[in-house]
Amino acid sequence: MATQQIRTRDKDSLTQFLGWFSIGLGTTQLLAPGAMCRLVGASGRGASRRVMRLMGVRELTQGVGILTRPRPTAWAWSRVAGDGLDLALLVLTGVKNRRARTAFAIANVLAVTVPDILESWRLSEKPGKPQPGMLVRKTVTINRPREEVEQAWVAAAEPRETVLSANAEVSFADAPGRRGTELAVEFVDAPPAGDLGAAALKLSGRDPATELSDDLRRFKQLVETGEIVRSDSTPDGHLLAGHVKQRPAQPLEEAVR
Amino acid sequence: MRALCWKGRNTVEVENVPDPKILNDRDAIVRVSSTAICGSDLHLVDGYVPTMKKGDILGHEFMGEVVEVGKGVRKLEVGDRVVVPFPIACGACNACEAELYSLCENTNPNARLAEKLFGHSTAGIFGYSHLTGGFAGGQSEYVRVPFADVGPLKLENGFSDEQVLFLSDVFPTGFMGAELCDIRGGEVIAIWGAGPVGQFAAASAQLLGAERVIVIDRFDYRLRVAERHSRVETLNYEEVDSVPEALKELTGGRGPDACIDAVGMEAHFHGPLYTYDRVKQAARLESERPYALREAIMSCRNGGIVSVVGVYGGFVDKFPLGALMNRGLSIRTGQCHVQRYLRPLLQRIENDEIDPSFIVTHRLPLNEAPRGYDLFKHKEDGCLKVVLKP
Repeated sequence: MATQQIRTRDKDSLTQFLGWFSIGLGTTQLLAPGAMCRLVGASGRGASRRVMRLMGVRELTQGVGILTRPRPTAWAWSRVAGDGLDLALLVLTGVKNRRARTAFAIANVLAVTVPDILESWRLSEKPGKPQPGMLVRKTVTINRPREEVEQAWVAAAEPRETVLSANAEVSFADAPGRRGTELAVEFVDAPPAGDLGAAALKLSGRDPATELSDDLRRFKQLVETGEIVRSDSTPDGHLLAGHVKQRPAQPLEEAVR
Repeated sequence: MRALCWKGRNTVEVENVPDPKILNDRDAIVRVSSTAICGSDLHLVDGYVPTMKKGDILGHEFMGEVVEVGKGVRKLEVGDRVVVPFPIACGACNACEAELYSLCENTNPNARLAEKLFGHSTAGIFGYSHLTGGFAGGQSEYVRVPFADVGPLKLENGFSDEQVLFLSDVFPTGFMGAELCDIRGGEVIAIWGAGPVGQFAAASAQLLGAERVIVIDRFDYRLRVAERHSRVETLNYEEVDSVPEALKELTGGRGPDACIDAVGMEAHFHGPLYTYDRVKQAARLESERPYALREAIMSCRNGGIVSVVGVYGGFVDKFPLGALMNRGLSIRTGQCHVQRYLRPLLQRIENDEIDPSFIVTHRLPLNEAPRGYDLFKHKEDGCLKVVLKP
C-alpha cells in the first residue's frame, strides 16, 4: 500500500532540533542552576545562580517561540543573539575563575552558534508568506472499480468522521494499469501551538495524519476483503497507537468479536 | 493448549496458552498434526529479527485438520486435511491478484512497523515476529488461520504428513529460488547452504533442467544428503581457499550461470571479514552476516542471476555493489509466494518426481521442541529437519 505524506513547511528538522534544544537546556538551567553553574566553571553562589535561571527563562522562551511559529525567523536570530550573550558571560566567568571547564563551555556554545547562524540565515532567505500549517496527503490504492469504492466510502462512517473533523478533501482516481482506485485525502494540518501541539497529539496517539492513515488502511481491508484483519498481538486491527504496546502473539483468553 | 513460546534470546519453552478462537468470519481453526522447525525460526530465536515479544508462539510450517470454520469460509469444511502456507494472503488485493502472496497488502496489522524498517509492508506471517503481524504460530496444538479459503491446500490423497508438510514453506521456497534463476536447460547453478531450503533448491534446479548443480556447505553430512537425493556436485567451503576461485575452476573460468543464496543472515565463514561481521552483528551495528550473498555475487558469471531466498532482516556492510552493477548481474529475491506453488508442486509429488520427506532427520513430540531447536541450531546428531508432533 502506498501511503504518501507531503509536507510543505518552512522549518526543517534542524530548526526543530534547535527549538527542542532550547527547551531542554532552558529547563535544566531553571531547575538545576547550581549544577549548571559548576558545569560551566562558575561559583554557583550569589548572583551566578540567578543569572543562570534568567538565561534558562530566555532559552525556554526562545524554544517555545521557535516551535510554535510557522516560520520563526526572528526567534532563530534571537538564539544567535543569545549565543553572543552566553559567550560574553562565559568570558567574564573565565576571566574571574580561570577554570578549564569554562573554556569547554565556550567551545560548546561556539559549536551551537554555527547552526544557529546558518538556520537563521536560511529562514531569512525564504520567499513568500509563512505557511501556517503543512499539507498532509494520505492515499491508498484499492483493487476495486471506482464506483464501488465511492459507494463504500459513503457507507463507511469511521473514516468519514476523521476526514470531516480534519476538514479534509477526498478524491478518487482510477489507478494506472487497471489496478483499481486511488483514494486520496488531503488536509492542512495546523495543530494549535505548532510543533509543541503536534508533539502532544502524537504522544497521545491522536494526531490526525496517523489516524487518517490507519483509517484508510482499515477501509481498504474492508472493501477488498470484507473484514478488518486482526492478529493475536493486534486484535483490534491496524492502529498505530496499538503498535507500541502489543500483546504477545498468543490467542486471547476471550474472543472479542 | 500447549504451544512453543519464545521467552527471550536463545530460550524457547512449551507452555500452556489459551486455545485460539475464530476472530473473523473467514478464519478457520486447524488442529496441527505435524509442524516443523525452520531455519528462519533460528533467526528469531537468536534474537536477530527485531520486534519479538516474550510469549510469542513460533512456527510457520504446519499442517493438520480443520476443526472449526467461520461463517464466511466456503471452500473448507470441518474434518478437511490441509497444509497451510506460511504467508497469510487475502486473495483480493493487487499483490495477491499478481500472485505475489507474500506481499499481500492487507494481512499485516502491524504494517506501519514494517514500513518503518522496509519502506513498504509485507504480508502477515504465522509465528514470525510482530513485524509481520504478530500472528500466533503453528508449533502448537491448534492455530487460527485467517483467510482460510485463500491459503490452505486441501489434501485428498493418501500421502503421509512428511511427504506434504514441506509444501508449507521450504519446498516452495527452494523451488522459487531455482525458478528465479530462469533455467532453460544447460545451466550451471551454484547453491549456498545445504539446509532444507538449499536441498529443495538443488532438487528443483534439476527438475527445471539445469545441467549441473553445485551445492556449497561446510557440513559433510548435509552435502552427502544432497549428493544422495539430488545427485548434485558438492563443495565444502572449509576445504578450499576461496569459493569464487573454486567455482571458477569448476566452470571453465566462467562462474555459475546463477547463484542461489539459501543461507541468509547468519552465515558462517572463516577469516577476518567473518570476525568483522560477527562483532558488528553482536553489537547490533549491522543486522546480517551476509557472507554467502557476497560470495554468490562475486562468483556469478558476468550477466548472471543471483537469487536470494535466504532470509535477511535489515542492513549490511561491505556489499559488493560494484561487482553487481559493473558485471550486469540481476538480483532476484523474495519471501516465497507459497500459494502460487502449492498445486504445481503437489502435482510433482503425485507424479513421483520428488518425495520431500527425504530431509526429515528428527521426529519429536511438541514437548521436546526446545531440544529440537538445540539439535537444529548446533547441527548435532546429523540434524537437517525436525518435525514436531503436537
